[in-house]
Amino acid sequence: MPSVAAPPSIEPPACDKSKARAALVERLHHALEALEKGDEAGWRRELDTIAAWRTQPMMHGLGRLARELAQTLGELPSAHDGSGELDDACARLDHVVEMTEKASHKTLDLAEHCRSLADQLKQTSLVDEQIALVDQIRSGLSELALAQDYQDLTGQIIRRVAGIVRRVHEGFAALGLPPPEKPRDANSGLAGPAVNGLDRSAFSQGDADDLLSGLGL
Amino acid sequence: MTVNKNMRILIVDDFSTMRRIIKNLLTDLGYTNTAEADDGSTALVALAQGNFDFVVTDWNMPGTTGIELLRAIRADERLKTLPVLMVTAESKREQIIEAAQAGVNGYVIKPFTAQTLEEKLGKIFERLGAAA
Repeated sequence: MPSVAAPPSIEPPACDKSKARAALVERLHHALEALEKGDEAGWRRELDTIAAWRTQPMMHGLGRLARELAQTLGELPSAHDGSGELDDACARLDHVVEMTEKASHKTLDLAEHCRSLADQLKQTSLVDEQIALVDQIRSGLSELALAQDYQDLTGQIIRRVAGIVRRVHEGFAALGLPPPEKPRDANSGLAGPAVNGLDRSAFSQGDADDLLSGLGL
Repeated sequence: MTVNKNMRILIVDDFSTMRRIIKNLLTDLGYTNTAEADDGSTALVALAQGNFDFVVTDWNMPGTTGIELLRAIRADERLKTLPVLMVTAESKREQIIEAAQAGVNGYVIKPFTAQTLEEKLGKIFERLGAAA
């Protein structure tokens, strides 16, 4: 984590205050003169300068936030060389939702199949003790199916976070802030799990087997 | 009141896993006549076509949300008496109030248990039976 410095002060330090005031008075005089002369471009320029003094610390602050955000997210493995880390991070989150959805469906398939097997088993001639056990298995399978609701709940949270990151990203782009610095390559180029459609260089098991057999393994 | 287990139930949720989970739970409770929709607008199309007796809907969905679906149902002459059970992760007080004011018949917060779903369904049928 980069250390967070105190935000830049909107007000200049005390020793600079009188200087700043003098500069402001000068600017205001120029603006008034220009206005009286009917020099519209002139007074607008003076006022723009004054406005810029006020907004500069805020722009610096936003710029630093943008860089820190990009840096933190940029520490996630990136599929493309340095560009669009935030978009890439969001796409990875979307992929997590898809992966958990598939896994949940597979679990539900198996739970349903096993429940029908338990039902079939109950139709055979069982003693009471066995029937009680089959009922317990069946109810366990129902609980197992219900526990897959985590996919919906985590999916909603992930989508919300991805939405926030996308909006922040768009907001910074709209501000026209300087591009974030290149992310530090903190994890020495390890890409983590491959994401379909993002990691075009990712290998399938077949690719890996082919490569290994080509290497004599 | 004896509940008609053959009633036609529409399950509305944008997550296919949750639709399936609710369908499974309803099947366990004996309600096997179900159909699914993935948001409020597809639900309204289904409701216009089929003879549904009950709606179980999520709130937060892309497109038409559950609360909008509920309002559309209450505003429709042919659908306005249709019972609606909201099953949602939205758990803020204001939202529960909003749903109640829009005319929801029951509200289940995710994650929920099979028992909770059964209780809420039972309560809705009980109240409908008393009103009938």
